[in-house]
Amino acid sequence: MIGFLRAIVIWAVIGAVAFFVLRIYGRSLRREALEKEWDATPGDGGQAAREAYIERGMEAYEGSLRNRLLVIIFVLPFIVIALLLYLMNYA
Amino acid sequence: MRYVKWAVLAIIVVTLGSFLHYSLPQHDVVRVVGTYQERQDLNDWTRIFWSSPDDQSGTLSSRDVQFIQTIRTNGKPMVYRNEDTGWRWPPYFKFDTASLQTEADDLKSTADAPKWAVVTHYGWRNELISIFPNAVGIRAVEGPDVTIIPWFNIFFFAFLLFLVVLLRRMWLQFRERMVDPALADAGEAWDSVEARAENARKEARGFFGRMGAWLNTWRAKK
Repeated sequence: MIGFLRAIVIWAVIGAVAFFVLRIYGRSLRREALEKEWDATPGDGGQAAREAYIERGMEAYEGSLRNRLLVIIFVLPFIVIALLLYLMNYA
Repeated sequence: MRYVKWAVLAIIVVTLGSFLHYSLPQHDVVRVVGTYQERQDLNDWTRIFWSSPDDQSGTLSSRDVQFIQTIRTNGKPMVYRNEDTGWRWPPYFKFDTASLQTEADDLKSTADAPKWAVVTHYGWRNELISIFPNAVGIRAVEGPDVTIIPWFNIFFFAFLLFLVVLLRRMWLQFRERMVDPALADAGEAWDSVEARAENARKEARGFFGRMGAWLNTWRAKK
């Protein structure tokens, strides 16, 4: 029982680390893409308008499907464990 | 220095390689000839090659382990241990030791009328230090020359490759977005410090230089 709880905790920590790291990476990619989009066809308003454009884009990204789907990474280890458990012992 | 670099690299590759070779599943085509159970002492360093089932007391120094005796297609013997891995490492989540032993018993055959089976296992056999690979699955097959596709290992290495590429791209992104700008800032800050120091030095050269020059006028001419 202790082993089961420990396995749950360890895999949850691994999932959480992967989740947050990928979240940061995804945001970073989106921000860079937005910067490049603006720089390719700069609008009026200079630096302030550029920052506003990027912030708007980032807010849209926070609600996007891609960002939300990252939550799957939290449950992925447990899906794999359940699958392995089934295949190893019952298949 | 170059030899040191290669030595360190070789040690890392060998360590990682043997870790994977020990932990990943492998398949043997065998003929089961028997099973037995034997008391094993678990109080020396080879303890790391035995499992630690959940229901075992941590202070226990010996326990019964089940074994599966087989003959491989090349005629050589191979003995597997049959132990639960439980929730521990390596993560096979094997709890069906008793069932596996029963299946192995069911597949027993003689050399005259062989029944071939594929044993999935991990670990190493070493006669010198008495360690055994742990059987995690067994299934009957038609004959000794079946083709086995190691699906798990294919997926595992594909995932590993994906992970390495992803980590590398993450690191490059992190360097491009965070480290390089920070270094550039630090570089600019350093430049301004240097510029100020340079100015101060020039002034000093100006003032002390003039003082020195004036003092020198009082020195005796050589």
